[in-house]
Amino acid sequence: MDAFLGGMATLGDPFILLMVVAGTLLGIVVGALPGISGSTTIALLLPFTIGLSPIAALAFMGSVYCAANFGGSITAIMVNAPGDPSASATAIEGYKLAQKGQAGVALGMSAVSSAIGGIVSVVVLIFAAPLLARAAYSFGPPEYFALAIFGLSMCAAIGGESRVKNLIAAAIGVLLATVGIDLTSGIDRFSFGITELSDGIDFVPVLIGLFAVSEMLEQATLRGVPATIIAYTSAKLPSWADFRKCNRSIWIGSGIGTFIGALPALGATTAALVGYAETRRWSKHKHEFGHGSLEGVAGPEAANNAAVGGSMVPTLALGVPGSATTAIILAGLMVQGVRPGPHLFTEQPTLLYAVFASMLAANLLYLVMGMGMAKIFARISLIPPTLLWPGVFVLSVIGAYGPNQAIGDVVVMLAAGVVGFLFRRHGFSPAPLIMGLVLGRMVEETLKQSMIIFDQSVAGFAGRPIALGLLLVTAIGLFGPALLRLVRRGVPA
Amino acid sequence: MSGVASPRREAGVALVVAAVAALGFAGTFTFDEVPPALREGLGAAEFPRLICIVILALAALLALQEKRSEAAEPVPATGWWTFAACAGFLPVMAVIGMLPAMFLFVVAVGRLWGERRIALLLASGAGLVAAIWLVFVRVFAITLPAGWLGEQLLG
Repeated sequence: MDAFLGGMATLGDPFILLMVVAGTLLGIVVGALPGISGSTTIALLLPFTIGLSPIAALAFMGSVYCAANFGGSITAIMVNAPGDPSASATAIEGYKLAQKGQAGVALGMSAVSSAIGGIVSVVVLIFAAPLLARAAYSFGPPEYFALAIFGLSMCAAIGGESRVKNLIAAAIGVLLATVGIDLTSGIDRFSFGITELSDGIDFVPVLIGLFAVSEMLEQATLRGVPATIIAYTSAKLPSWADFRKCNRSIWIGSGIGTFIGALPALGATTAALVGYAETRRWSKHKHEFGHGSLEGVAGPEAANNAAVGGSMVPTLALGVPGSATTAIILAGLMVQGVRPGPHLFTEQPTLLYAVFASMLAANLLYLVMGMGMAKIFARISLIPPTLLWPGVFVLSVIGAYGPNQAIGDVVVMLAAGVVGFLFRRHGFSPAPLIMGLVLGRMVEETLKQSMIIFDQSVAGFAGRPIALGLLLVTAIGLFGPALLRLVRRGVPA
Repeated sequence: MSGVASPRREAGVALVVAAVAALGFAGTFTFDEVPPALREGLGAAEFPRLICIVILALAALLALQEKRSEAAEPVPATGWWTFAACAGFLPVMAVIGMLPAMFLFVVAVGRLWGERRIALLLASGAGLVAAIWLVFVRVFAITLPAGWLGEQLLG
């Protein structure tokens, strides 16, 4: 309780509060910019947080993460251009409502349901993360190995074109994590005599390259469609009748979002799409869907914001990222020397509760900002790409160069940008690669430790029920769908 | 001629992935020998080899998959010129320094992407560079590369 109050009290520190306000404002702004997702922004901002204290850095990144999902809905509703991929489901109904002259109501419902979803998930995070961490105290290397493998296997479902491609990207990430000196033998691996590579691949330039630079290169190949903003007065608080109509959708979205967010690798976009589908399934007004349904805005918006808190549960309690964005936040924490996991709850409880408090504050702040300034935020999407993307590249360069002041990092960033561009072009998602890169060392270290515990026999996993259970779930998740298809083909209709 | 087109496979992409895995696998044989005292259990090379084998297996699976998406549109001239601008950023920076190179990049790529309002481009480039100078050089005290020209001018 003391730690909880201590964490809440950090919001009284003017600098932390400033970080939360700045993070929320920035999150809404970048969330509203089509093409610049929350993960891209956090990757870009990572170098700037290195000089901050861990609490300030986490408060800032957490606020950006919370607010970016909401920001994406503004342009999804106003210009049918989801600023963040997680707002793509919102655009389906939101833009239709805007065309019918109900943009203000749609924006108001988006802000309220986002805030409710976000707050519900943070409350779940406050209670579930310590419980999960307590359970994880009994985890040894075999359990962590199985958990990391489970997390990587979830990359298969992260979205994108193909499960196999997602797994390939994750495996390449794990392979990249082996670059540098092997901690057990001291042998240099894949560094090819380049001293900088002996310490392993630096997360920061790779993240910036994969997310920001590759996106800019992708944009260079697209033909832009001029956006037209729909006229409206301002965001409106939903009426009591609107709220009653959408009440069920908001709770369905919040539940689904928190659950999907808490699963390793799956984030806000998956949550929003599932949230939309389930909202429609359980709606009493199915006929409105596709023609501008307010429930179709409330459900996915509650879901994608609930996924934020949900995805922080495994990230902080177990050190296994709950989404691509939390993988970047995790990388940022590791750069700062903070290793998330169960021990954090006993060693640095104030840090954790400060994160929870800042996320709660961010959810309330973007509700206020969203209601009051939605009109201004919507105009952000009208910044011409001819000014926006060259600026993103320049910020990427300084972001990669800044932390170590090394030109080599800029080269790595450019190389990662080209790799990311080729990835996207051939249907691979960069997110699983980041998951692999972040979890790679954990997989290798825990596998080696497990093999020592088991006297070099894989059969030892059979004697560890949690590890075995996780590995079985992984196997079912990976091979189950294919086996099911085979079985169905064998059964005559 | 049956008229039924055979499904397009992901063979090309799978081949590239397999080549990456094969290169990685071959690369593990260039690692130094593990000292005998540390030779117990999984060594430095075994784990990367295991991952390379997993990637090879996944590449084989990918080769059998039907291609779902349409072939990507060819990269337009703007895309190639943007690539060139990114690649040329470092050599230009080595000559004129980081901040002037950034200004030049913003103006050149903005123009390349179709921005015709030169005054806006110049103002945007100058504003961005000024903000970076203020935050990074003045506040964070980071030394940015001055380039050959900067060294000649400023010593």
